[in-house]
Amino acid sequence: MSVEDRDLLARATAGEAGALETLMTRYSARVYRLAYGITRNAADAEEVVQDVFLQIVNKGGGFEGRAALSSWIYRITTNVSLNKRRGKHRELETSLDELLPTYLPDGHRAGERAFLVADWSGTPESELLSGESRRILEAAIDRLPEHYRAVLVLKDVDELSSDEVAEIVGDSVAAVKTRLHRARMALREQLTRRLGAGA
Amino acid sequence: MTCREAIDVLADYVDGTMPADLAAELERHLAGCDPCRAYLATYRTTRALVSAAAAVEMPDEMKTRLRRFLAAQQRR
Repeated sequence: MSVEDRDLLARATAGEAGALETLMTRYSARVYRLAYGITRNAADAEEVVQDVFLQIVNKGGGFEGRAALSSWIYRITTNVSLNKRRGKHRELETSLDELLPTYLPDGHRAGERAFLVADWSGTPESELLSGESRRILEAAIDRLPEHYRAVLVLKDVDELSSDEVAEIVGDSVAAVKTRLHRARMALREQLTRRLGAGA
Repeated sequence: MTCREAIDVLADYVDGTMPADLAAELERHLAGCDPCRAYLATYRTTRALVSAAAAVEMPDEMKTRLRRFLAAQQRR
């Protein structure tokens, strides 16, 4: 952690309003985005943000500073969000296995050729992000297991490296990469099943 | 390289973290494989859609409530 961040955190934990405001300005939007990405619920995400900043203020003084401040805050956010999700919405989550590609013994993909070559990527992004396509995408994200959503947001929205994400979620780099790839493939599959026929 | 091997390494290719020799081998496979080209194109677009869809903004009123909440906590 940089000297500036260490100083900022120390002043915030000492109750200096200006320092806390700076931390909020820098991190609240990112904390909310990750919290929402994992919980998929605005009210839960708001509670996570409050809890995270409370932990920063209360525990910041004990932070050892081995990691970057942002990584530490992301880690708290991930843990609080996963705790908030514990036991909730399990019925929505599906096994990813049925959404991953299947293969013939020779290594070619199995399935109807028309489906295998379906390519909806030429559809304008604005169209894909509105109406029925958006609804399909949001529902598909909802169905991902929360640990996968955490990695997806950290990698594909915050654009952190796999090493940084591994440190934040407390897993190996290989596990992070596998989870990211499986999440993207599962989302792609659901989009293709719904959009592919019109491609 | 088979389709299975190609799809297994797509994440590193799309993220730009793949070694050049493996990327060249993958591109040779893609040049002759319509299904894998379609898979790559839709995989890449899926990534872009997630980036856009998951980039939610924290509502201003929520920021106001957070400030109030923390101010109240600091007074305790």
